[in-house]
Amino acid sequence: MTSNNLTSIQDIHTAINTVNDPEYPGISIVDLGLLENIEINTADEVLVELIPTFSGCPALGVIAQDIEEVVRGVPGVKKVDVQWLNTPVWTVDRITAKAKEDLAENFTVAVQINERVECPRCKSMTDKKSHFGPSRCRSIHLCRNCREVIEVLRD
Amino acid sequence: MNRSWDSLETFENFLDSGGIVEPVDEMPTEYRQAVFDFIEMHANSELMGGLTERDWIPRAPGLRHKMSVIAKTQDEIGHAHLLYMVAADLQIKTRQEMMRDLFAGKSKFHNVFHYRAKTWGDQVAIAFLVDAAALVSQQAVFKNCSYGPYKRILKRIIAEEGFHLRFGEESVLRIAEGTEIQRSMFQSSINDWWWPALQLFGPDSKPNDLLLRWHIKSERNEVLRDRWIQKFVPLLQGYGFTIPDPDLRWNKEENRWEIGPIDWEPLKRTLAMGGPDSARRISEASESWEKSSWVREALEKVAT
Repeated sequence: MTSNNLTSIQDIHTAINTVNDPEYPGISIVDLGLLENIEINTADEVLVELIPTFSGCPALGVIAQDIEEVVRGVPGVKKVDVQWLNTPVWTVDRITAKAKEDLAENFTVAVQINERVECPRCKSMTDKKSHFGPSRCRSIHLCRNCREVIEVLRD
Repeated sequence: MNRSWDSLETFENFLDSGGIVEPVDEMPTEYRQAVFDFIEMHANSELMGGLTERDWIPRAPGLRHKMSVIAKTQDEIGHAHLLYMVAADLQIKTRQEMMRDLFAGKSKFHNVFHYRAKTWGDQVAIAFLVDAAALVSQQAVFKNCSYGPYKRILKRIIAEEGFHLRFGEESVLRIAEGTEIQRSMFQSSINDWWWPALQLFGPDSKPNDLLLRWHIKSERNEVLRDRWIQKFVPLLQGYGFTIPDPDLRWNKEENRWEIGPIDWEPLKRTLAMGGPDSARRISEASESWEKSSWVREALEKVAT
């Protein structure tokens, strides 16, 4: 990137930050750790590199489409290329603290940091009931105390 | 927490003031049963819907559509999984008992899954009309549902169903802009699926509907049905398709669409497991459950 560019990485980043996960409205894909890299060449052509939570994720097309749309809307951008990378591999460590809070509060979804998964509602211990939930990146737990059925985001 | 109520009246007052019931509460038996029946039917419908979707994985036109169909299948089976857990937790039937009743034709699932999807056009009509009808109903339940765990699961389901609807809208647009053959295929799918989708909302709610009284549902069937009609009549007509209702008319004074009389016989037949495709659907679901038993057994062994 040279000083002649009409757009900045920061502008692009701000735009991408408005793209939410299609299955968690209100939670940015940046906070979920999907954004890996942004590049702008001298012709104001933008490359956005993302990593999927898992390679077969059904939402990849929609997310890429949404990003393309918002980046195209940034003044000065001539072209947008969105790529999904195979490495590095996504892990739950990439989820920001803010997103973890939002997931717990708005969706009753926990994030698996270690073996012990707390209930997002009452903070009690949970038991894993199924390794797979509605998606490969989620398992299902049951709270021992309030008996909430909880989706747990996992590696 | 472990709240309890000394009479049905105090319980109803609690519900009327916006109270949310949790699994640990000592809820009245009738309420527990009503919530259970409602969630069980929802779970069954997600499972049967997921299986219908699955049938189209090998037949989807193109890789992008195939991925979408796989995604939807995964979501719907996942929804069933969550809902069966919430239902089983009410301790009226175990999950095994719910599966057994479903495969024996003893428990209900949505009328639309008693019909066969014969063409890709049908599949798109389902993704557009039926998924939207289901979403309209679920949004209304979510808005004011008195059973906490169900309300919270619905929030996640609605987010994913919204994502499905996007696929339906995209697919309809593709067909609408397609060849004459594609357009006429889709018109015949609309002819077949318009009424079943509309009947999904059920007949007008009765004045003493317990689901409404106990805030399990928050809006009357006819209100939801009308919301769907007002949205989809102009949408389909806008794409240049016709609605298979000779009595359909625009009411200028009230600024709304009015439909002709609804024949409830087809809905009654599906409720009695006598729909055009009920028997095949149920037996295929049962067969698929048996064939996958080794997976469940293997997972249980890993877990213990």
